Amino acid sequence: MAEFQANPSDIRVHVASHGGTAEQDIDPVIVEIVRHSLDSAANQMKRTLIRTSVSPLIYEVLDFAAAIYDKDLRMLSQAPSLPLFMGTLDFCIDAAVKGIGGTDNLKPGDVLLYNWPYGTGSHAQDSALIQPAFSTNGELLGYAAIKAHWLDIGAYAPYCTDTTDVYQEGTFFPGVKLFSEGKVVDDIYRCVLANSRMPHIIEGDIRAQATAVGVGVSELERVYARFGAEVFPSAVEKIFDHGEAIVKSYFEQIPDGTYVGCGVMDNNGVTQDKLPFEATLIVDGDSVTVDFTKSPDEQSGPVNCPLPSTISASRVAVAMLAGKNESPNEGHFRAITVKTRRGSMFDPKPPAPCFLYGWPAMQAIEAIYHAVSKVDEAAVPACSGGDICALVWWGVRKESGEMWGDGSPFPVGHGGHVHGDGCTMMHIAESATQFAPIEVMESKFPWMIKVLEFMTDSCGAGEHRGGLGYAISFHVLEDCFVTSSVERTLTDPWSIAGGSEGVPNRMEVQNPDGSVETIGKVTGREMLEGSTLTIYTGGGGGYGDPKRRDIEAVRRDYEDGVISKDHVTKYYPHAAGVLESTAQVAAE
Amino acid sequence: MATRIGVDIGGTFTDLIFYDDAKGAISIAKVPTTPSSPDQGSADAVAAALDRKRIAQAEYFLHGTTVGLNALLERRGAKVGLLCTEGFRDTIEIRRGSRAEMYNLFWQPPEPLVPRHLRLPVTERMKSDGSVFTALDEDKIHEALAIFRREGVSAIAIAFLNAYANPAHEKRTAELLREAGFDGVVSCSHTVSGEYREYERTCTTVIDAFVQARMANYLDRLRGGLLDAGFQGECLITRSGGGAMNFSEATERSFETIMSGPVAGVEGASELARRYDLGDIITADVGGTSFDACVVKDGRPILLFEGEIAGFPLQTPWVDVRSIGAGGGSIAYVDQGGLLRVGPQSAGAVPGPACYKKGGVEPCLSDAFLSLGMLGNGQIANGMSLDFDLAEDAIGSVAEKLSWDTEDTACGIVRIAGAFMANTIREITIEQGRDPRDMLLMAFGGAGPVIGTVIADELDISRIMVPEYAGNFSAWGLLGADLVKSTSLTRIMPAIDESIPALNEIFASLFSDLRSTFQGQADQSGYGLEASIDMRYAGQEHVVSVAVPLAGDSVVASGQDVADLFTKEYANHYGVTLEETPIEMVVMRATMRRALPERDAKNTAVGHHSVLHHVVEAYSFERKQRIPFELRERSGISRTEIFAGPMIITEATTTTYVDDGWVGEIHPCGGMLLTKQERQQNG
Repeated sequence: MAEFQANPSDIRVHVASHGGTAEQDIDPVIVEIVRHSLDSAANQMKRTLIRTSVSPLIYEVLDFAAAIYDKDLRMLSQAPSLPLFMGTLDFCIDAAVKGIGGTDNLKPGDVLLYNWPYGTGSHAQDSALIQPAFSTNGELLGYAAIKAHWLDIGAYAPYCTDTTDVYQEGTFFPGVKLFSEGKVVDDIYRCVLANSRMPHIIEGDIRAQATAVGVGVSELERVYARFGAEVFPSAVEKIFDHGEAIVKSYFEQIPDGTYVGCGVMDNNGVTQDKLPFEATLIVDGDSVTVDFTKSPDEQSGPVNCPLPSTISASRVAVAMLAGKNESPNEGHFRAITVKTRRGSMFDPKPPAPCFLYGWPAMQAIEAIYHAVSKVDEAAVPACSGGDICALVWWGVRKESGEMWGDGSPFPVGHGGHVHGDGCTMMHIAESATQFAPIEVMESKFPWMIKVLEFMTDSCGAGEHRGGLGYAISFHVLEDCFVTSSVERTLTDPWSIAGGSEGVPNRMEVQNPDGSVETIGKVTGREMLEGSTLTIYTGGGGGYGDPKRRDIEAVRRDYEDGVISKDHVTKYYPHAAGVLESTAQVAAE
Repeated sequence: MATRIGVDIGGTFTDLIFYDDAKGAISIAKVPTTPSSPDQGSADAVAAALDRKRIAQAEYFLHGTTVGLNALLERRGAKVGLLCTEGFRDTIEIRRGSRAEMYNLFWQPPEPLVPRHLRLPVTERMKSDGSVFTALDEDKIHEALAIFRREGVSAIAIAFLNAYANPAHEKRTAELLREAGFDGVVSCSHTVSGEYREYERTCTTVIDAFVQARMANYLDRLRGGLLDAGFQGECLITRSGGGAMNFSEATERSFETIMSGPVAGVEGASELARRYDLGDIITADVGGTSFDACVVKDGRPILLFEGEIAGFPLQTPWVDVRSIGAGGGSIAYVDQGGLLRVGPQSAGAVPGPACYKKGGVEPCLSDAFLSLGMLGNGQIANGMSLDFDLAEDAIGSVAEKLSWDTEDTACGIVRIAGAFMANTIREITIEQGRDPRDMLLMAFGGAGPVIGTVIADELDISRIMVPEYAGNFSAWGLLGADLVKSTSLTRIMPAIDESIPALNEIFASLFSDLRSTFQGQADQSGYGLEASIDMRYAGQEHVVSVAVPLAGDSVVASGQDVADLFTKEYANHYGVTLEETPIEMVVMRATMRRALPERDAKNTAVGHHSVLHHVVEAYSFERKQRIPFELRERSGISRTEIFAGPMIITEATTTTYVDDGWVGEIHPCGGMLLTKQERQQNG
């Protein structure tokens, strides 16, 4: 479990736990089988949750994490789901178990509920359910846990961008038994439902989440029973050693040194000042320290990122960089030390608001890559649009009088990289997530989508250009409300190795009277019938000197209408010939 | 009663099975696949197994192929132009935004099949209720066609927004193209799929346009070759969603045949399950490069209504076969963290496992099988004999890195592969809410029966069926395919009495569409009609498909009956229901199905014990050491005999490894039913 070393100057240092040592002669075949079985167990939790949940936020957006931990709160496996939740559940389990008075009070079939943001790292909606697993002799083996986004659990609006303390953001359950020995605790359950605007939906999702942690527990118990008290713990140590070795072999190849990456928030949701921050990477041998101590003080608006998510952002960044594309475990985190400053944006203290914790966390991932790009240009892609450009809508349908609501992230252009051009997809913090088809949206909600199309010249130029940004336009057919959490509208996506910067995100509303305004973060903006909201998502930064771009690639882009004549002339003069020889087809 | 030929073209081998109805006899052949012209491999297989007289006897030629799939994978298809709604030119490139390899920073989606300059916008717009918002600008079609002609486009896909709700603009556009003299392939999204989700439907339409001409050529050549060889019957090809269609339909709807290969084996397993009451089964098809598993429930494979191939979605019925990269050719290696890993890289057909003597040096799963004695004396299909020394050398290279001996390493390779396969099965069964332990494992494919007991032991499964012709089982499965036509339409309606007339109009029109595809050539009698509706609780997006009773073309159920059917199915699936939430019907699905004439599964066992009765030393996973295994020929086992492991049973196209602790008997279906002794007693 996490070890904290408080320091007089409020600096906190976090390292993953190391725990026991593997027996040297453990059969590596068994290690591989146990490793795969634990990954499979987490996958089975994920599949169960997807199959039984009722909210698209779970089964489509995959706004959850499902993981299995050992009794020392070390992550055995996590299913591929929402990267941003990676490796935060140990904090939830620790706090939840303390909440009920410690492990002595845990019984088979108990399911704990925990959603205090400073323990989950998230906003109140992201609620963890935790179930302990026991051996046949009644010995505690570990936990299955899922943190999932509940559509609504209070807060002053269904989605908020301008809260000023955490208590405006939802109702909290600080580690309570939602199920006791397999039976629902009715008093708690009713309290949960009484605090939601959409109790029917979260009821279905809670049941699904509880079923899924149960699947994880029985799989963990089964795998343990199969390999036994002698072999299983040794296999687990070896699995962690293996993960550690993979990540460390990566950092060994990176020259020692201190590398600084930057992120810039547009504002904190309450005041309008830009909010730059730094993530410093200190590579030392086979290990890396991610230092957030120089980040701004905690903010008056909800862009504070509680410690577990700061650690998680660091783990996501490193696991994607150095984890060989595999599902991570605690071992993958051992090479990482995270340093924060208590009372800063990346280690705030209650009751600082943190509804938008995910936005600084998302940017922190790319700030870490920014730092990496300074030592190894080939190791990471250039910056993406840097956001998930999310919108949350709600209103009351004209005809039926029923309340409706929907929330979704949208893809952005991604950075070019050593292997090729960037493309257009969801931000890496939500890399497995999909957005809904337009035909589905139009059949359910009072919108007509006017356009979903690439924007010419939105990509950063380069030997490998950035991915394109695009416009998506919602024409509103009935009065309703929208919350936008859009970020990175004021700062260009950075490039690598002489590429040029991409175009940042932008959001715009055209009112029924024809007036147009740019909007940023806004909570519950009224959208009158006949108005149109357009997201222009950012384009990725370029990689490498544009003058080295293959002429045929320039020609293709020009013919495809994704870059203009001016763009060719400005960035790709060596390819100006394509302007002569090509009859450009239908570039709008 | 009908004599028939089944030919399945796989990545490595082309398999043939001939079923002679008069005698109940079966002939088989296995020849190398000829990737450059797969019809040649088929002709080779026919020539190898059958003379002109027998070919002429056959009433059906049933085919499974990866031709469409390969055209996609290798990007060898038509130059396609796409006409799309203005403002929505980039649907196929923006996709739904997800990353298939979520931890891979550099992952890139497959390049769209139509580049942007050939995706041309047309001024038109339908609303989701099917009303026209912007009329079709016919001039735009002509402008676009001029560009397509200049660019040498040979196939045009038309995919407009909300065409599922009203296809008028797509139909008119297709007419205009024809009037203007375009005589290439035209594929309209509303004929490909009547369902909503524009990215998926557009991709499917583009894929259809991309592979159609190639597929038509291929099927023509194949049919031509068969006619020359004396065949006079009907040519059929299997569908990704199960069942088969004739070649002319397949030419029109080639996207429906993309996954025809792996589906055939599952169809064969389903046929046995239905005919012999085998209960729910899990198929384990282990070939050279992949392990394919599927759950068969109530005699039918689990069916999805969307598939994925080469990174593209296909909006078409899809048998839910899950594939992982673990097969006989999967390569074993030691990773950077020092663990022994198996696959997903494969040595493929060339060079293949080291023991195949084709120059492979990396150790594969098959090398491990051989070195452990699991393949008996190493005589496999077509008289090929495997090389023990090469297998041991290859495994030795990995063993050295682990400081192990060859046997432990080989054994580790098999156990790891078996555990992967078992985990895949766990995951697909849990999705169905099933416990694999009370299901039957049906093991086939060249390597399935070799590793079957290892997988079953990993899963605590106590019954394994190794069907007849297990090594050619996909081809065998082809022979039993039903003729199937299906179509669907998205139309969102509440599940109430008032919706039933509209529902019946839709079904009448869907069935009428299906009937119109007969083109007078075949008789429509003998086709049964099936209707199902994808339904959901209002507000949800995901649906449950529910079969509804029909009389003629009409649903005989009230709104409440339909809602009740849904509620029951939902409870089966999810264990809960949502009280008081209105229920919606979303997609209507119409199917016409005709079973081919039944065939007898006759046990070919002749029961002469003495043919081959050796003993080999092989590794027992049960006993964790090498022990003597009896070596038998499958044809030498009699119908009444109870046999017991340790035993290795050989036949022309596969080898069955029966570990100690398993007993076997010949099941009435002709397969070998293996039962784990002590688990059976405990259970």
